[in-house]
Amino acid sequence: MIQSVDVFQDIKTAMPEVATAAFALWLLVFSAFKKHQAFAVASFLSCAFLVGIIVVCFGMFGQYDEPVVAFGGLYIQDYFSLSIKMLIALGTLISLIYVYFDMKQTQIGRFEAPVLMILSMLGMFFMVSAHDLLTLYVGLELQSLALYILASFNRHSYKAPEAGMKYFILGAIASGMLLFGMSFVYGFAGHTGFGVLEEVLNGTTYNVGLTVGLAFMLVGLAFKISAVPFHMWTPDVYQGAPASVTAFFAIVPKIAAICLIMRLLNGPFGGLQDQWVQIVYALSMASMVLGAFAGLVQTSIKRLLAYSSIGNIGYALMGIVAGGADGGASVVVYMTVYMIMTAGTFGVVLSLRKGGVAVEEIADFKGLSKTSPFHAYAMTLFMFSLSGIPPLAGFFGKLVVFKAAVDSGYIVLAVIGVLTSVVAAYYYLRIIKTMFFDEEDAGMDEIQIVPYAAQHGTLVATLAVVVGFCVVPAVLIEYAEVLVRSLF
Amino acid sequence: MLASLVFYTFGFILILSSLFVITARNPVHSVLFLILGFFNAAGLFVLLGAEFLAFILAIVYVGAVAVLFLFVVMMLDISFADLRKDAMQYVPVGLLVGGVLLIELTMVFMSWQASPELAQNIAHPIDAAAQANNTKALGLILYTDYLLIFQMSGMVLLVAMIGAIVLTLRGRSGVRRQDVSKQVSIKRADVVEVQKVTSGTGI
Amino acid sequence: MSIETAIVFLPLLAFMIAFLFGKTIGDRGAQLVTCSALIVAAVLACVLFVDVIRDGNTRVTEVAQWVSSGSFVAGWTLRIDQLSTVMIAVITIVSSCVHVYSVGYMSHDKAQARFMAYLSLFTFAMLMLVTADNLLQLFFGWEGVGVASYLLIGFWNYKDTANKAAIKAFIVNRVGDFGLALGLMTCYVLFDTIQFDSIFDQVFGQKDTMFDFLGYQVHGLTLAALLLFMGAVGKSAQLGLHTWLPDAMEGPTPVSALIHAATMVTAGVFLVARFSPLFEFAPFALQVVCVLGGLTAVFAATIGMTQFDIKRVIAYSTMSQLGYMFFALGVSAYGAAMFHLMTHAFFKALLFLGAGSVIHAMSDEQDMRNMGGIYKKIPVTYVLMWIGSLALAGMPFFAGYYSKDMILEAAYADHTNFGMFAFWCGIIAAFLTAFYSWRLLIMTFHGKPRADDKVMSHVHESPAVMVVPLVVLAFGALFAGFFFYPGFVGEIRAEFWGESLRILPENDTVGAAHHVPQWVKLLPIFVGLGGIFMAYVCYLWKPSIPARCVAAFAPIHKLFFNKWFVDEAYDKIFVRPAFVLGSFFFKKGDGVIINAGGVDGLSNASDTVAKVLSRFQTGYVFHYVFVMVMGVLALLSWIVFRLGLN
Repeated sequence: MIQSVDVFQDIKTAMPEVATAAFALWLLVFSAFKKHQAFAVASFLSCAFLVGIIVVCFGMFGQYDEPVVAFGGLYIQDYFSLSIKMLIALGTLISLIYVYFDMKQTQIGRFEAPVLMILSMLGMFFMVSAHDLLTLYVGLELQSLALYILASFNRHSYKAPEAGMKYFILGAIASGMLLFGMSFVYGFAGHTGFGVLEEVLNGTTYNVGLTVGLAFMLVGLAFKISAVPFHMWTPDVYQGAPASVTAFFAIVPKIAAICLIMRLLNGPFGGLQDQWVQIVYALSMASMVLGAFAGLVQTSIKRLLAYSSIGNIGYALMGIVAGGADGGASVVVYMTVYMIMTAGTFGVVLSLRKGGVAVEEIADFKGLSKTSPFHAYAMTLFMFSLSGIPPLAGFFGKLVVFKAAVDSGYIVLAVIGVLTSVVAAYYYLRIIKTMFFDEEDAGMDEIQIVPYAAQHGTLVATLAVVVGFCVVPAVLIEYAEVLVRSLF
Repeated sequence: MLASLVFYTFGFILILSSLFVITARNPVHSVLFLILGFFNAAGLFVLLGAEFLAFILAIVYVGAVAVLFLFVVMMLDISFADLRKDAMQYVPVGLLVGGVLLIELTMVFMSWQASPELAQNIAHPIDAAAQANNTKALGLILYTDYLLIFQMSGMVLLVAMIGAIVLTLRGRSGVRRQDVSKQVSIKRADVVEVQKVTSGTGI
Repeated sequence: MSIETAIVFLPLLAFMIAFLFGKTIGDRGAQLVTCSALIVAAVLACVLFVDVIRDGNTRVTEVAQWVSSGSFVAGWTLRIDQLSTVMIAVITIVSSCVHVYSVGYMSHDKAQARFMAYLSLFTFAMLMLVTADNLLQLFFGWEGVGVASYLLIGFWNYKDTANKAAIKAFIVNRVGDFGLALGLMTCYVLFDTIQFDSIFDQVFGQKDTMFDFLGYQVHGLTLAALLLFMGAVGKSAQLGLHTWLPDAMEGPTPVSALIHAATMVTAGVFLVARFSPLFEFAPFALQVVCVLGGLTAVFAATIGMTQFDIKRVIAYSTMSQLGYMFFALGVSAYGAAMFHLMTHAFFKALLFLGAGSVIHAMSDEQDMRNMGGIYKKIPVTYVLMWIGSLALAGMPFFAGYYSKDMILEAAYADHTNFGMFAFWCGIIAAFLTAFYSWRLLIMTFHGKPRADDKVMSHVHESPAVMVVPLVVLAFGALFAGFFFYPGFVGEIRAEFWGESLRILPENDTVGAAHHVPQWVKLLPIFVGLGGIFMAYVCYLWKPSIPARCVAAFAPIHKLFFNKWFVDEAYDKIFVRPAFVLGSFFFKKGDGVIINAGGVDGLSNASDTVAKVLSRFQTGYVFHYVFVMVMGVLALLSWIVFRLGLN
C-alpha cells in the first residue's frame, strides 16, 4: 500500500533541512555566476543564513513537545534534534568564520568551500533527525563526502590531497561496515524504520546475528567519531587539511555523529543495551587511553588536537555507557562544552600565522606570552579547560560525565577517565609551559597576528563561555536533561 | 532444479572471476574479469526477480564504471607487478585475519535466526498491477515513500560533482577563450581610436 | 533589577571595569568608577535598611541557579533579612568611606587603579558572604574575602614583609577555613540541605541527633557549631588563630581599616549570629565561644599596652574588641554583639584612618616612639582620633558606650560561671583598652617631638578627600550608639531583628541585662576613666614610670611585648617541624620514591607507550585499514566466543 504523504506538512516539519538544501543550491548557482569576490560574498551569505537557521530552529521549538515523524517514518523532529541542530549550525558558523579568514590568508579560498560546508551541515541535520537506517546512511554519506572534499581543498599542498584521499578510502571502508551491519539488522527484523525496529528488538532474547549487525554498525559510526581503534585517519587528516577545515572537522561532525549514536542506541537498539554497553565501554576506554598517551610525543599542534579529540570522544562515550537520561544529558553537556573549548583553541591557533599559514608546530608557541599576551592567556585558559581544571567549563563537562558513570556503577571506567585526564593534562600544560617559559629561538620566523575583528570576536566569545560557564552551569545541565528526554 | 543450477553457475563464476581480478598479472585482464563478475552478479539479480537492478548493474557498472577503469588502466603506466610485490608480504597476515573473520562470520551465519515478526514486517504490500513489473514497483515507492532518501541521494551526487570540479578545475592563465557576449557587446569606441596625424611628425 | 542586586553587583562591576580597563581609563578614571559605584551602593543600602528594618520587607532574591544535584541545590541568591541588611549597610558605608579616603592616601602609589579594583572586589565578596542564603555561597564569599585580603595585604608586593604577612594571613586563615568547611559539610550531612531556611527549621528536630565522628559519639549540633566557630576564630583572629592580624598591618592603612577592623574580621561574628538558631541548641559550643572571647579580649589588650607601632596597637585593640563580640555571642546576646560590631566598625575605621592620616603626615613613620608633639599641626586628625578613642573606651554617650556596656551587662545577666568569667575579663579589658588608647594618643600627639626636623617640618593636615570620610565615620562613632540602641538591644529589638535571630526564651540575656544592679552599669565607665588617668600619669606627667615598671616587671613585660610568645611557639611547634618534615618528604619522599619510582618512572613509561602507539601511525592507508580490521575482528570474536551463538 502506498502511503499518501502530505508533502507540505512534511516540508514544514523538516523546515531546517529544506531551507538548507534550497539555500545551498541557490548559493551554488548564484556564486558560480558571480565574477568577483564570489568567495567573500558566498561566505558572508552563508554566515547570515546560518544565523537564520539557528533562529528558525529556535522558533520551531515550541511546536515539538511531542516528537513528530515525517516522510513516511523516515524523519523525526523533536526537542533533541532541534537543539542539536542549533548547536551544529553554531559550530558551522564559527568554523565558517575561521575558514573564510584562513583561506583568505592562504589564498585558496573559493566559493565552493562555504557551499560544501552548508551541504555537510545538511547531512548532519539528517543524521540527528534520522528515523530510519536509510536516512541515517545517506545523511552520513552526504556529510562525509563534503568533508572529504574540504580536507583536500588546498590543492597546492601535497599534504591536503593525501589527507583527503586517506579519509575517503578509510571512510568508504567504514561506510561498507555500516551497511554490512545494517543488512544484518534488516535481515533480522525485515524493516529499517526506527519505530518498527524498536518494537521488534525490544522483546527479543539474545541473538548473535543481530548483535554482530549492531557491532558492525557501531564500527562504521565509531570511525566517524574517531573512536579507537577506528581513529587512525584522525591525526593524518587533521594535520593535512587546511587548519580552519580541521577546526570544522574537530568541532561539528562529531556532535552530529555522537547524537546519532545516542538516538540509535537508546531508540531502536534500546532493547540490546546489555550488548552495546560493553562495546561502547571498550571503545570509550580505548579512546581515553590512546588519546591521552599518544598525544604525549606529538610536536604538531594539529596532531595534538587530533589526539585530544580522540580522548574527548572517549569521555563522551562514557556518558553513553552510563545510559539513561542522566548519561544522555551528560553527553550533550560534554559535547557542547567540548565544541566551545575546541573552537576557542582553534581560534587561537588560526590567529597566529607564520608566513601566511596558521602555526603548525607547538614550538611556534615559544615566547607567545611576550609577543601576544592576549593569545597566550586565552590559550592558557582553553588548555586548562581542556584538561578539566575547575572552575572552567571543561571541568563541568568532565564532572557530569564522571558523575553519570559513577551513578550507573561504572566506577572503573570513571577512574580510568580521571587517570587519563591526568595524563592528558601533561600535554595541555606543556603548551602553556612553551608559551610562558620557553625562550624564543633566535632567528625564528615572526609570528603574525591576524587583524580580523570577526575572528577575534569569535575567540573572545568562546573564551567568555569557557570562563563564565561556572557561574550558571545548572542552566545547560538542566536544559540537556529536558531535551534528551525525547530520546527515551 | 534448473534455477539452482543456474544460481550455482553464476555464483561460482562470480567468485572465480573476483579471485582473478586480484591475481591477474595484466591489469587489463583484471578489469575484464571485473566486468565478468558484474555480469554474473546481474544474472543473480535476474534470478531473484529483480530485473531492474540487473539492468542498472549492467549499464552503470559495466557500461560506465568498468570502462572508465579500463581507460585509466590503459592510459596510466602503472607497474602493478611492483605494487603487488610490496603487498605480497602482507598476504600471510591478511589470509590469517581474513580466515578467522570468515570462520566467525560462518559461525554467525550458521546460527542465524530471524525475528519471528520478520515476515509481517518485510511484507511491503504493492499493487497487484505493479507486482508483475519490478521497475514499476520500484518507481512507485521511490518517488513517494522514499522521496526524502531519493532527494538526499541527489544531494550526495551533487556534492560529488562539486568535488570533482573543485579538485580538478584550474583557472589557467594565458589561455585565450572566446566570450561571445563580450564580442557582441563590444563598442566601436572601445577598440578603434581615430587620431589626427599631421604629416611628417608620426604618432 | 532589584535594589539588593544593584548593591551587591555594583562593586563587582566597578572591580571589573577598574581591573580590566584600569590602563585605559587611568588611575583617575578607576577611582571615579569605584568610588561612585560604592557611594551609590551605600545610598541604596540605606534605602534598603529602611525598607527592611522599618517595613519588615525581608526576602530572598534569586539571581541565578548555580548547582543542582539531588538535595544539593544552590543558587546565587541574596538573602535580605535584618541581619544581612545591617551588615550590608555597615559594609557599604565604611567601604565607600575607605574608597574615597584611598584616593588621597594612595595618591603617590604606582598602581592606584589596581588598588581600587581590589577594594571593590573585596566589598563584593563580603556582600556575597553576608547575603548568602546557602552554605555554598557563604563559603564562596568567605573564601572570596580571604583572597581579596591576601591581595590587599600583599599589595606592596615589592616589600618582603608584606608578602610574608599576606601568606601568613592566608595560611592561618586556612586552618580556620578547614574547620568551616567541615562545619558546612556537617550541616549538610545533618540536614540534607544547604539552604539556611530549611536548616534552621530542622534544628529543633535534630537537637538530639548523635553523630559518629572519628569513632566517637558526639552531639551533632555541637559538632557543627564548634566547627563553624573554628572558621570564625580564624577569620576574626580569636585567640589561637590570631597571629595573622597584627602582621596584616603591612598592607596599606585603608586596607587595615576596611578589612582588618570594620568588615572582614567581623565575618566570624556574623557567622555565629547567622547560625544563632543552631548555636542556641548547642550550649556547650556557646560556652566555648564565651570563654574564648573573654580570654581574647584580655589577651589582646595586654599586648596592645606594650606595642609601639601605631597600627599594631589598633590591630590588637580590634582583636580585643572582637573578643567582646564573641563573648556576647557566647551568652546568646546576638543583638548586642551585632550592635557592637556596627559601632566598632565606625569608630575603629575612624581610628585606623586617623592613624593613616598621622602616618601620612609623618612621612610614613609608624613607630610611636618617633612621634609626639604634633597635635597643633594636625588638629582635625587630633580631634577625630579623640572621638574614636572615646568611643573605643566606652565613654558615655559615644557609640562604644552603648554597645560595650550592653555586652558587659548581658554577660553579667547570664548568671553562669562562664558569663561571670567573661564579665570580669571584659572589665579588665575595658581598663586596658582605655589605658592603651590614651597611651597611643599621648605618645602620638603630645610631649616633645621625637621625630627629626625634616619630618617635623613636613607635618601637614591631610587633604579634604581624606578628612571628609573621617568626618563621616566620626558621625557614626558619635551617634550610631545612641540612635540605634532601642532597635538593636532596646525595647523594640524583637521587631527590629524579626526572624533573623532566634534566641531561646531562657537565654534572653539582652532582656535580662536591663535589670542588672546599678554598679554593673557604672563599673565599666569608672575603670575606663581609671585607665585614661593612668595613661596620663604614666606617659604625660611622670614619663619615668613606664620604664620603672618595665624594669620591675621585666618578665611580664617581656611576655606582653613579645605577644605572649605565641608566634615563637607556633614557629617551634608547627612551622619548623613542618619545614623539616617537608624537606624530608621533598628530598627523600619526593626525590627518591615519587620522582624516581613514581612520576619520572611513570612519565618515562608514558613516553614509551606513546612512542609505541605513534609507531602504528605510519601514514600507510593499508596499515590503518589493518588496525580497523583488527578492531572488527576483536569485536566479532568477543561476540562470538564471549556472548556466544544462539
